[in-house]
Amino acid sequence: MDKSIIAYFESSHDFPEEVVIAAKMTPYKILGEVRKPSETADQYLFKTFCPLARSILEEAFDESDQWAGIIVAHGCDATNRQYDIWKHHITTPFLYWFNTPMNDRKSAKKFFKEELKALVKALEEKFDLEITLDSIKRAIRLSNEIKSVLKELSNLRALKDISNSEYFETVKRAMLCDRTKALEELINTIPRWQSKPEFPSDKRRIVLTGSDITYREFMDILDRAGLRVVRDDLSIGERYFATQIPNKEDPLESLVLYHFNKPRPSTKHHANPRLDYLESIVNETKVDGIVSQNLKFCEPFAYDSVWIVNSFKEKGIPIIHLERDYTSKADHQLINRLEAFNEML
Amino acid sequence: MVQSETKEISQNSTSSQQKKIHIRTLKSNKYLKRLMACYFFKAKIYPKIPWKYTAWTTSAFPVEMLWTYDIFPLHPENSATVAAARKLSKGLIEYAEGLGFSRDLCSYFKTNIGAYDKKIRTTYGGIDKPDFICTTGTICDTHVKWFQTQGRRMNVPVFIFDLPHQVAGCDEKTLKRYENYIVDQFYEWNDFVYDITGKKLKKKRLENVVRKSDRLCQLWQEIYSYRKKKPSPLGFNDTFAQIFPLVILPGIDAGIKYYEKVLAEIKDLAAKGKGVVPNEKYRLLFEGIPFWYRIKFIFELAQLGASIVYEPYTWAFGPRKPLGLSADEYLHAFARMWLQQPYYYNLDRRIEYFKEVIDEYSIDGVILHNNMSCRPNSTGMLDLKKMIQREIGIPAIIIEADMNDPRAYTEAAIKTRIEGFIELLEANSK
Repeated sequence: MDKSIIAYFESSHDFPEEVVIAAKMTPYKILGEVRKPSETADQYLFKTFCPLARSILEEAFDESDQWAGIIVAHGCDATNRQYDIWKHHITTPFLYWFNTPMNDRKSAKKFFKEELKALVKALEEKFDLEITLDSIKRAIRLSNEIKSVLKELSNLRALKDISNSEYFETVKRAMLCDRTKALEELINTIPRWQSKPEFPSDKRRIVLTGSDITYREFMDILDRAGLRVVRDDLSIGERYFATQIPNKEDPLESLVLYHFNKPRPSTKHHANPRLDYLESIVNETKVDGIVSQNLKFCEPFAYDSVWIVNSFKEKGIPIIHLERDYTSKADHQLINRLEAFNEML
Repeated sequence: MVQSETKEISQNSTSSQQKKIHIRTLKSNKYLKRLMACYFFKAKIYPKIPWKYTAWTTSAFPVEMLWTYDIFPLHPENSATVAAARKLSKGLIEYAEGLGFSRDLCSYFKTNIGAYDKKIRTTYGGIDKPDFICTTGTICDTHVKWFQTQGRRMNVPVFIFDLPHQVAGCDEKTLKRYENYIVDQFYEWNDFVYDITGKKLKKKRLENVVRKSDRLCQLWQEIYSYRKKKPSPLGFNDTFAQIFPLVILPGIDAGIKYYEKVLAEIKDLAAKGKGVVPNEKYRLLFEGIPFWYRIKFIFELAQLGASIVYEPYTWAFGPRKPLGLSADEYLHAFARMWLQQPYYYNLDRRIEYFKEVIDEYSIDGVILHNNMSCRPNSTGMLDLKKMIQREIGIPAIIIEADMNDPRAYTEAAIKTRIEGFIELLEANSK
């Protein structure tokens, strides 16, 4: 077991990693493994449930003995309800439920701070350590540096020839490894990306939105269809680094403010900030169109897809919505639709 | 929640049995028809009266919080079940899918989209535009996404209660934090209602509503207790409709009067030893929401000698309420009660609950509905099934279908599974 890794299961960007970093541990976002069937998880979860959540549970079956503990952060129905399944079947010395609010009212902000305090206390008690306010402030500084570099790298997408999957893998890695090491790697990536060829003239510039993408193959499919993602609002993407964590005297207050200011996913109320962020992207960056997608059985994003699509259609901005399966294999029907969308642009 | 279209029916057996079995429904259900007719009449005219306020709400939302402010509740879920019982849901769902909503989304939601857009009559599942919408994520994300969507489409304000999910192993300190969060939201709710209606929370009215709600639930629990009798005088063919007052009318007198009549009739039937299914052979528990478009499923089971005598779904609507508290204490008590209801018990509690009721109600077998439209309720069902079979030693089956979308109900497959289940019950009874 690696005593420094705290794995977490979230359905968006809900978990405050900084608390774990402040505990001198490494937060590790469980992302599942699309290439591996979820045979064990399928004994406990119906196949009509979110396939990503099943894959994440499968990874926990395989890897939990490598982790010091697991935290499940409230996001969607999968996190809420499946925690109990984890409790019954996953072997881990520490399983913690972290309740993040769905609302954005005053009461939600107060509640979130209480939940942060409880999380700090739970980690301190379980691992016999102290998480000081100063250590959280240091973690926030590190986190902000990472976000800042990721943003710089993200901006290069519209200028340079950076494949969809290279961008995706770069952001993803920053959520999996030791954050100091991640920052170093990201800083080293900047000159490498800056020296890349100019943005390819045969590619269309698109915004990618919807359910979180967790495997590179889908990003490859977009490239194959001639679509280059230059902006997004995904959790392994801009949602993770679009906003900085404010610098307040009380670092928990900083985390509260950050939680409510980052680009909101469809799992939250109100939903309008998600559309606002997408509209700001379209205003800031020259794009040819938008690819909206939801993973099969990912209900929150499926609900909002009709509204999102209609909103952009009304503005005359080309947009396509796809429902995708959780698979690493090339879905030719999907590719055909994306190629047709490209031709339309 | 709908009034059954079927009265006393007889059917040819679905199995090899050829003898017709007559299934009784309660005489007092005629009062339910009146109650519902009155409700639907008001639901139709109140949205048109300027000084009357109406709100859409969902199950798991404490409807008492609307009656306390004299706000008339409109219930899209209930309306959706009416559309399904009227065999209209499929067309309405397909209409919503035509707008782009996924086949995998909740069939209540899509029925509501179709029913609202097509302006069908309230008695067929239609529903009018409310003054505002209130819901909660207690049961599912759908309740939030659905009402966000319709709030946007109808341009009406939406209030969402955010109920922290109480997972297995939740300790008292954590529960207290959750309780405080909910109470804070009650005060925000009060402000929200005031901004729209100019009405404030009045303790006396709150007390009155809670007292009546509790009386309704007390009666419901007493009615329910007669289902422990062998044979059970009350079946799912009655309860699925009888919950209507609990869902929509807690806090007013109409439901209480109806339940008093039901209780009197049930007592009489129990005293005479009359069961809802003649020659009751197997006593079943049904977990999940029924197939509203195919209520005859219950009658088909009866042809095989099986009586559904317990449903966590119908029981869940009737928790007793605390009485004699201050306004703030009420809110705390409501919050605590709201965190723990049978329909969304965490897995540990759900398993214990099933053990208790299977014993108390002498259950011979369990049917679990893996509802395509309610994945949260279906979560944990595989563990539940294993527990029922291994620890209690009675048969359990999972049926994959949908509460409101008849396309998900595969006749032949379900018939075969049910017949196999009955054989297991028979073998297990020896």
